[in-house]
Amino acid sequence: MKQPLLSLVDINKYFGDVHVLKDVSFTIEQGEFLTLLGPSGCGKTTLLRCIAGLEHVNSGDILLHGTSMKGIAPNKRNVNTVFQNYALFPHLNVYDNVAYGPRVKKSMKDAELKEKVRNVLDLVQMLGYDQRMPHQLSGGQRQRIAIARALINEPSILLLDEPLGALDLKLRKHMQTELAHLQKKTGTTFVYVTHDQEEALNMSDRIVVIDGGQLQQLGSPREIYNNPSNLFVTTFIGDRNIMQVSVLEKEDTYSRVQVGESVVSIRNPQHSSVSNGQEAILAIHMDKMRVSCDEVPNALRGEVVSVHYAGSQIRIEVNVDGKPITIVEYQKTDCDCEAGDLVYVVWEEHGAILLPLENAGVEREV
Amino acid sequence: MQTLKRNILAVPILVWIGLLVGIPLIFVFGLSFLSRDSLGTIVFQFTLENYQRVLSPIYQRVFLNSLLLAFLTGAVTLVIGYPVAYITANLEPKKRALSIGLTMLPFWISSLLRTYGWMILLGNAGIINNLLLSLGIIETPLPMMYKFGTTLIGTAYMLIPFMIVAIFNSVDKLDRSLLEASYDLGASRRQTFFNITLPLTIPGIAGGFTLVFIPALGMFYVSDLLGGGNTIFLGNLINTQVTRGRNRPLAAAFSVAMILVVLLVISLYSRVAKDDREGLFL
Repeated sequence: MKQPLLSLVDINKYFGDVHVLKDVSFTIEQGEFLTLLGPSGCGKTTLLRCIAGLEHVNSGDILLHGTSMKGIAPNKRNVNTVFQNYALFPHLNVYDNVAYGPRVKKSMKDAELKEKVRNVLDLVQMLGYDQRMPHQLSGGQRQRIAIARALINEPSILLLDEPLGALDLKLRKHMQTELAHLQKKTGTTFVYVTHDQEEALNMSDRIVVIDGGQLQQLGSPREIYNNPSNLFVTTFIGDRNIMQVSVLEKEDTYSRVQVGESVVSIRNPQHSSVSNGQEAILAIHMDKMRVSCDEVPNALRGEVVSVHYAGSQIRIEVNVDGKPITIVEYQKTDCDCEAGDLVYVVWEEHGAILLPLENAGVEREV
Repeated sequence: MQTLKRNILAVPILVWIGLLVGIPLIFVFGLSFLSRDSLGTIVFQFTLENYQRVLSPIYQRVFLNSLLLAFLTGAVTLVIGYPVAYITANLEPKKRALSIGLTMLPFWISSLLRTYGWMILLGNAGIINNLLLSLGIIETPLPMMYKFGTTLIGTAYMLIPFMIVAIFNSVDKLDRSLLEASYDLGASRRQTFFNITLPLTIPGIAGGFTLVFIPALGMFYVSDLLGGGNTIFLGNLINTQVTRGRNRPLAAAFSVAMILVVLLVISLYSRVAKDDREGLFL
């Protein structure tokens, strides 16, 4: 079997009494764009810093090309980091910032270095900015220089710690595309930390969802989005309506479940199974639901609470047996409803997921 | 309206500065152009003679002595103070407060007493000589008192807290992620210190140097007590002219000359630290 580029083996990390990483294990393959996704404080940045060597792990091991990184200082690891605040050296101009790595390692001759700096500046579209000081650059430009400064070292892995967090929305979208292109072009393995699910879904080959210091799910963006393996991933990724239901009758591929006063048929979960009489969680993507004015099968009956027109989308709040349900439609279809109307809520089959309740974690509120 | 309000609020401080700094300065400046009679009484007669004497060759040596002493005091306090400040800034909060507290502790004791303390340490019958004699390392006492170096020890000792605090502030402000970035890019600790930490703490070094240089230029009791008056510095000269020389106009002229030197040093400092807005507000 091919050796993975980086293996994390049962990583545990404590800050004092706080257990920030709990038995985290996974592998990173050569050339992939892997995203560590989770809410703030989930341990994703700490994990990145452990890989960089800026934090020590309390137990477990990190193997780069099969070699243990235990006791290897950050300056001896062939990984580079793009820091959240870019951390450009304020007293050095762009050229000296980018040339910093090769210079301290004395790995290149002057002429070669000059050529190399030119190449990476070209790569991040910052040619001609060599003499600028960091404070003369915009946020997006600093970002590019920070990436160039890391890439010039030809790291085995480039670690990016929420690099787009400080940019405005438009620039962020633009940089997402650019980063993904850059990753494909250089073939460098990217490990990217973010709390923004859209960013993660947009750019990654694979996503590692982390919460409470634990790995929740690892998979492709499609897998994570469509088949979340537990309640945390279900609530964290995508906008879903979450309902507590009870399983009436489990069949081969479908189960009949009771939602409030209605009974509907839902496809069985992929990652686990439910059984008759069990309490379960039903989660349905808001944008895969639709409102129908006529009675249809496999639907929930409810009363429209409000209708909001927000640009291209319409948000409809429906009260189903006392529980609010949000539906996002992109164009008004057959049912032109208003607040107070009785309607039927239907959904696309693959937009609904059934999860056993114990898989959801007992401490979580539904 | 807003600016008017703000200006009104500035009135007390302006009165304060005017009374305690402005008027005495004007007084000294005026005095430096006056004459005196043989008893030392001020005679209200305009003269440039005081300034001619200030610029005369016999006093050039005094200026050079003072500048050298002030410069060396700055250099010695920098070399000793930087590591102290650097280590202090990297301590955990409790230990750091303790370190800063200990640095400032000597200010609670009269500086004159502390200078006598050095005499007890360094004198021919002092603690160090006694110790070395009793251990048989030396046979006659080492002459450590009343030298240029003795004065330098005194001024450096007296002023080093200013250097430590100025550099401490600078190191403390340093963005730690820059140091991490440097390690991450392959630099050793040593390379990180010389490439990142040191250049980024230059404002603190310049501030500390200024804070040490200026008082060192005018200190007189240290050189009187530890230097025994063997080397004459500006401070001693001014002191002597006021007391024994009964020539206050000449003392005033020397004071004005010293103020000009200080202004020059401050303008050099503000050039070095122009990007550092949290510096000494100069």
